[in-house]
Amino acid sequence: MKRNKGIIFQLIIILSFISIFGFLINNLIINLIRTDLGFNFSWLLKPSSFALAEHALPYSPSDSYAWALLIGWLNSLKVIFISLFLSTILGIMIGLSRTGKNTILNIISSFYITIIRQTPLLLQLMFWYFVGFLGLKNNFLYFSNLFKINNQGIEFFGLSFTSEFSALIIGLSVFTSAFIGEVIRGGIISVPKGQWESFRSLGISESNGLIRVIIPQALPAIIPGLTNQFLNLAKNSTLAIAIGYSDIYAINDTIINQTGRAIECFIILLFTFLILNLLITNLMETINKLINKKKIYIN
Amino acid sequence: MHPKKIKKNIQKLLKILFLNSLNNLLTILLISIICALLFKTFNWFIFNSEWSVISSNISLFAFGTFPEEQRWRPFIWITSLLSLCFLSIIPPKWKWLRKNLLIAWIGTIPLGIFLLYGGFGLQTVMSRNFGGLTLTILLTICSSVFALPIGIGLAFCRQSSLFIVKKLSSIYIDSMRAVPLIAVLFFGQLLIPLFLPLGMEIDRVWRAIFAFTLFVSAYIAEDIRGGLQAIPNTQIESANSLGLNQFQIIRFILIPQSLRIALPALTNQAIGLFQNTSLMSILGLVELLGIGRSILANPKFIGQYIEVYIWLASVYWLICTIMALVAKYLEKRLKIT
Repeated sequence: MKRNKGIIFQLIIILSFISIFGFLINNLIINLIRTDLGFNFSWLLKPSSFALAEHALPYSPSDSYAWALLIGWLNSLKVIFISLFLSTILGIMIGLSRTGKNTILNIISSFYITIIRQTPLLLQLMFWYFVGFLGLKNNFLYFSNLFKINNQGIEFFGLSFTSEFSALIIGLSVFTSAFIGEVIRGGIISVPKGQWESFRSLGISESNGLIRVIIPQALPAIIPGLTNQFLNLAKNSTLAIAIGYSDIYAINDTIINQTGRAIECFIILLFTFLILNLLITNLMETINKLINKKKIYIN
Repeated sequence: MHPKKIKKNIQKLLKILFLNSLNNLLTILLISIICALLFKTFNWFIFNSEWSVISSNISLFAFGTFPEEQRWRPFIWITSLLSLCFLSIIPPKWKWLRKNLLIAWIGTIPLGIFLLYGGFGLQTVMSRNFGGLTLTILLTICSSVFALPIGIGLAFCRQSSLFIVKKLSSIYIDSMRAVPLIAVLFFGQLLIPLFLPLGMEIDRVWRAIFAFTLFVSAYIAEDIRGGLQAIPNTQIESANSLGLNQFQIIRFILIPQSLRIALPALTNQAIGLFQNTSLMSILGLVELLGIGRSILANPKFIGQYIEVYIWLASVYWLICTIMALVAKYLEKRLKIT
């Protein structure tokens, strides 16, 4: 009797779900016909006719929309992986100074965390771009030809980054590092105090003990939180549009403005993020496996 | 004092300050850097900054382009919210007020909508005139209050034994959590009109609230699920042995406990939501950040980025801190001793 009830309930849910969905799709079709757009992806092969300031592969306005989207995806990946790296390093520093003994470092890092976490990322990005880079003088920092920072961006050892790219990287890294710092602090705190005392009593130096004893035990608690923060970082990178960096979302937006293909672009965007998420989750899982292989089992 | 003793003391002092370890050297270095930075900032504050961009636009920051003679309405709303926050943090002894605090909080939504939109004797105001802090708060409060019950429902659906219910809700939650918020907001602003029947239109502010609700409810669902999983099974068993039915178990055992466990995470969601309303400035609503952007675009105030950004950051910071304080108080009150 109870089982039957469950099946009937599920059937009702499916039916109502299908009918709501059908209603919405029906409206969509009517609207698409009315606006004379229809639904197809053939426009992807047409020339995009917009210029991109930043491209990892050769690109010109006569290239197709599909190519422009690929360039945007590469731009996004570039930002995500560089700031992933930088924010991890910065986050580790903050997490360690938050758990360390130095009072001044402790105060500075907790101040940093409250400031960064309690203000919106978008505001921070705008700050880095409009104040941090566009507000600079023409020769703010000049170190022969090797290292330059000015309102055009950053240049060192022949590599040059535009100011949009640099501001985005700095903003994302600083924002994410505050969260990563908290994750790392949580991981280190989760290691029992006896571990600290025992490596000290064995005469192992503080830094050596931290690296060899504490961090390996803290990692299982850190990795899931870190994965979450990396996924957030990837999602937050779409705010690039606010400072004019042409990432995947910004290019989708430009295409929608040009062609009006909102639904198709939205679907493309969803798939891109699905792939991106899978990429990051798999990466973190591999790291997790590597760590677990090396783990020395206690008790 | 004996010269040898003085020498010994000085050596002791030096040892504490410098020679003890690298740590103290680092301390000195950091202190000097902080002093230099503080000096520079103070210098800028006193001599180089111009705060007229804030002081002459303060009502724009607070109310947007709300009609001049009607600005008392959002003012009353915000004041009532603030006083409610104050009452929540430092509760008076009156028992009836303590008991009805939740009802008062929920009541602020209809009050706010009535005061902002007008009608029933008040002059109606179009939603395109909403802006500034008022709009930010409206977006935050409405979306969080709508998202909470939906999130709870989704969390229970995900734990359900019915296969289809479970699958549908987990697909919804996982896909929402995989998508960036700006894409969802974009969906709300540009695509929702395509899904509506001809002639039907939803206000822009409500479309934004709808999109925020869709997004946040998935995150809330995961937090609540975490709370549900933390409830020991014995609770359900003892409820069963008392003869409570399914509905009663959910209503009296599972929801209150999971909410209490998930409260810190829910606070983070609310604070995140408040900050994320700033994304609407990209999509054409002039909330707090949007007002800042439009003021900076005004040729009269051109180039005064630092003043405006510092002001906005401090407003966001202050409100986030108030939210965190209220949540901390709630946590303390709900704690079982």
